[in-house]
Amino acid sequence: MTDVELALKKGKDSLKSAMATIQGTFSYEDTAYHLPISYALTGIAVHDRTASLDVFSRTQDNSLVASEIILAKKTAQDGKKVLPYTGFIADTVIRKLGYSLVDGSILGLALIVGTPQSDGTAAAICRELQEKYMLTFLAGPVVPSLSSAGVKLGLDYRLIPLGSDALHGVHFVDIIARVAMMFGGVTPGDMHRLLTYAAERAKAIVIALPGLSEEEIALVDGMRVLGFPILTLGEYSGGAWITATPEDIVRTGMELKGIRVTVTAIPIPMGCSPAFEGKSIRKEEMYVEFGGGRSPAFELLRMKNAGEIKDGQVTVIGPEIDSMTEGSANPLAIIIEVAGKTMKKDYEPVLERRIHNFVNYGEGSWHVAQRDLIWVRLSKEAVAKGVKIEHIGKLLASKFRMDFPQLLDAVSVTLITDGEKVLAARKEAERVYEERDARIRGMRDNDVNTYYSCTLCQTFAPNHVCVITPERPALCGAISWLDGKIAYEMSPAGANQPIEKGPVINARNGEFEGVNRFVKKASHGEVDRCSLYSVMEYPMTCCGCFECIALMLPEVNGIMIVNREFKGLTPSGMSFSTLAGTIGGGAQTPGFAGISKGYILSDRFLQGDGGIGRLVWMPAQLKEELKPRLVKILADRNMPDLFDKIADETSAATIEDLMVYLNTVQHPALKMKPLV
Amino acid sequence: MGFDLNFGWSGSIACVQLGATKSEGGTRRISYRIGGEKTLPFLEKIQGSSSPLITLEICDNPQYWSPIVTNYCGDMVHNSGEWAHAAETVYGADMVRLYLTSTRKRDFSDIASVGTTIETVLSGTGLPLIIEGSNEPKIDSEVFLKCGEAGQGERMLLGTAEAGRYRSIAAAAMAYDHSVIAQSPIDVNLAKQLNILLKEIGVSRDHIIIDPYTGSLGYGFEYSYSAMERIRFSALKGDADLAMPIICSAIDSLTVKEVRESEPAILDDIAVQWEFTTGLAAAIAGAEIICVRHPRTIPLLRKAFGSLTPGKIAGGEG
Repeated sequence: MTDVELALKKGKDSLKSAMATIQGTFSYEDTAYHLPISYALTGIAVHDRTASLDVFSRTQDNSLVASEIILAKKTAQDGKKVLPYTGFIADTVIRKLGYSLVDGSILGLALIVGTPQSDGTAAAICRELQEKYMLTFLAGPVVPSLSSAGVKLGLDYRLIPLGSDALHGVHFVDIIARVAMMFGGVTPGDMHRLLTYAAERAKAIVIALPGLSEEEIALVDGMRVLGFPILTLGEYSGGAWITATPEDIVRTGMELKGIRVTVTAIPIPMGCSPAFEGKSIRKEEMYVEFGGGRSPAFELLRMKNAGEIKDGQVTVIGPEIDSMTEGSANPLAIIIEVAGKTMKKDYEPVLERRIHNFVNYGEGSWHVAQRDLIWVRLSKEAVAKGVKIEHIGKLLASKFRMDFPQLLDAVSVTLITDGEKVLAARKEAERVYEERDARIRGMRDNDVNTYYSCTLCQTFAPNHVCVITPERPALCGAISWLDGKIAYEMSPAGANQPIEKGPVINARNGEFEGVNRFVKKASHGEVDRCSLYSVMEYPMTCCGCFECIALMLPEVNGIMIVNREFKGLTPSGMSFSTLAGTIGGGAQTPGFAGISKGYILSDRFLQGDGGIGRLVWMPAQLKEELKPRLVKILADRNMPDLFDKIADETSAATIEDLMVYLNTVQHPALKMKPLV
Repeated sequence: MGFDLNFGWSGSIACVQLGATKSEGGTRRISYRIGGEKTLPFLEKIQGSSSPLITLEICDNPQYWSPIVTNYCGDMVHNSGEWAHAAETVYGADMVRLYLTSTRKRDFSDIASVGTTIETVLSGTGLPLIIEGSNEPKIDSEVFLKCGEAGQGERMLLGTAEAGRYRSIAAAAMAYDHSVIAQSPIDVNLAKQLNILLKEIGVSRDHIIIDPYTGSLGYGFEYSYSAMERIRFSALKGDADLAMPIICSAIDSLTVKEVRESEPAILDDIAVQWEFTTGLAAAIAGAEIICVRHPRTIPLLRKAFGSLTPGKIAGGEG
């Protein structure tokens, strides 16, 4: 066991005394960057003793600088490295290497230094690094160890033997310094920029095997300043080095630097594409089914800590497909566990909703509904091709990783088909559902300072800007505030952007300085003001996707709503489609607003126009759909009889009928302050 | 004319260098700096403002090219060096855009030939080059690496980056100091998004040219025109992520029904008119680079641009 702290101190001292003896001149060929580390840090071209000592003192006796100078001097004395070693690598090769990093064909860089305890250990670590698209540099006795284990070395194999001593590991840093100058816009001498680049952009990890000398420990530890994690298998103690097992050392390092392997192919015996999403599997085509009221079934996605789950692991608890009777209904639990540095608990329900899409992507798998109401089928054709329950798990694990590469580092899936175990697990799921509902229910517009925009529809409604708040979902009903927030975090340059709401201009109408500013910019200067809670004054623009249209009926001093499903004429004299054609396309039309169904149930609904008491008419089907929740909301707001006072096409088909009806029921809108 | 041409705009279009002369580290006879506008095209009577660059598109496997062009140009289409030479000396183009159509062959794997072709074209002409890489994501990485390498120092323009497919081109541009064509499907927001993605990966603003995607006249050009206008207005109003020069290539012009079905005697005339009218409209919407495939379109555009740009006839050079 080596104590890093202790060795570090001694190592630094001996590097310092070695520096004192530097003499003569030295330089590398095939580079425009002199001694790249020294050059990047200070802007000084080091070729002799004077410059060496100058740079060493300017960098506060930095051990990377010392090692670079000592090695350059040694190389000048001993001549170039002989094969298989590369020694110092030329700029032209670095350019290609940088290309592969930007291009994504190499995911990151690794350095292995030291002496492996057994040839097999190093070989296994290298194999894993190769499989994960890392480019690995090797320095020291690890090189002959790999050769004797029969591992092929060279650029083609993504394993590059830098040199016979761990000291040659310094080339790893000079490569990164050059990549920073070539690709990262780092100017020589801009130390701060270099360190920021190395820490944030360079995806590099270091694995320190046993047997490093004190100077070599000082060199390796010096790389921490660049933000590279130093991992060991436990032969070093103290300091900031991280201990891991041979099995998880690569994964740990990659996770620490946020290096992600992207999944490109899904290993299952059926097609998987959005193209299959719309298909259905009818009873006669079905091999087995789960849920749908015929058997207990549910789905649950939860966040875990990185260490708690193994990426890609799929577990089936209970009988597999081959022991299920054709045509039968079976119990099923789909439990997905995810981990990721930027993953948050709030995202769970949004990601869980994707299970629906992903299962439907499968050529022979079908999914409807959500939570404990799910209904899943597998087709005869798919089962004949060899699809098993396990493959649904593989599909889900791969798709989640593919579609959320920035968010998720690890996904594991457990599928339970054992009836009793499904029921037991469902209890916990129900607790989680309830907890989530409570959290969303509690969210109010006043609780947050940031709303989200949606400009997805600007392709056909060029100046339309949706402003999404916790209480006012996008007018299409498809994107909630939380969805907007997540979409922004996953795709920061995308169609959902944060809007700082800023100082209040009109609290009742929901007009904010920040929102106005954003809307003006995002509507390309066309829309100056936007009130979130008013149909009458500066209402939000409309694209064409609104679930419902709210519009004023001046004759009755009220506001009516018509939903997309309603085909008839409304008391306004127009049908939904005529109205939609009038107000859509990105225009702001006072007196009209596109809204989602969910917004009708919010406390903010029509706040600027006198509240829900203005609501005089909506189609019977919409009324029925909202009834359970709306009745409760109206009771809470001391308007228990309002629900029945809202007319529909059966009680009032025309504006004349509506006037009579509202008078008969004494609708509160009639007594409100005039709308216009 | 009495119009007030002061719109109160605050933004200006980024300057992009295309081509590098010997003194600039390349081998081109001429290089251009496009962009820099502070208002709409053809409004300003400012000395030194250049009219759009007219680019002739050629390819290295004419099997994938319109027979209208290959018939007109003759045997030279089998030798991209000669074709590029003619583009400069006979047809009078400002730039040459080489499509590596040879890479479209099934299971193409002769990556080295890409380098050779580019070298041939570079020695065939002294004009700055635009290189259009592969059409196949699987070979992108190797093809663009080769393109970047072969034209190192020449400040070429590499195409075409799209939202799902920009890393290799960006890498080649960054590694070998070329510029990138960023194409989005006729949508101002997607154009901006792609520019931001390129910026994040490290491509600087003065190395990006926007391709808003150009539909041919009568076949969607009005959408392209509107997208170009909106991109340019946003840029002039100060949106730096959209303030890059625009390139337009209405490649469908030679295959539209009216051209395909015209009488053989007037086939060339119709094709040229179609390209000309689309290209002229694109220039008026703000495009700095207009690409055409029929050589006869070049003098027509040159004349039209000259009449719109007082005291200025040729492209970047005159």
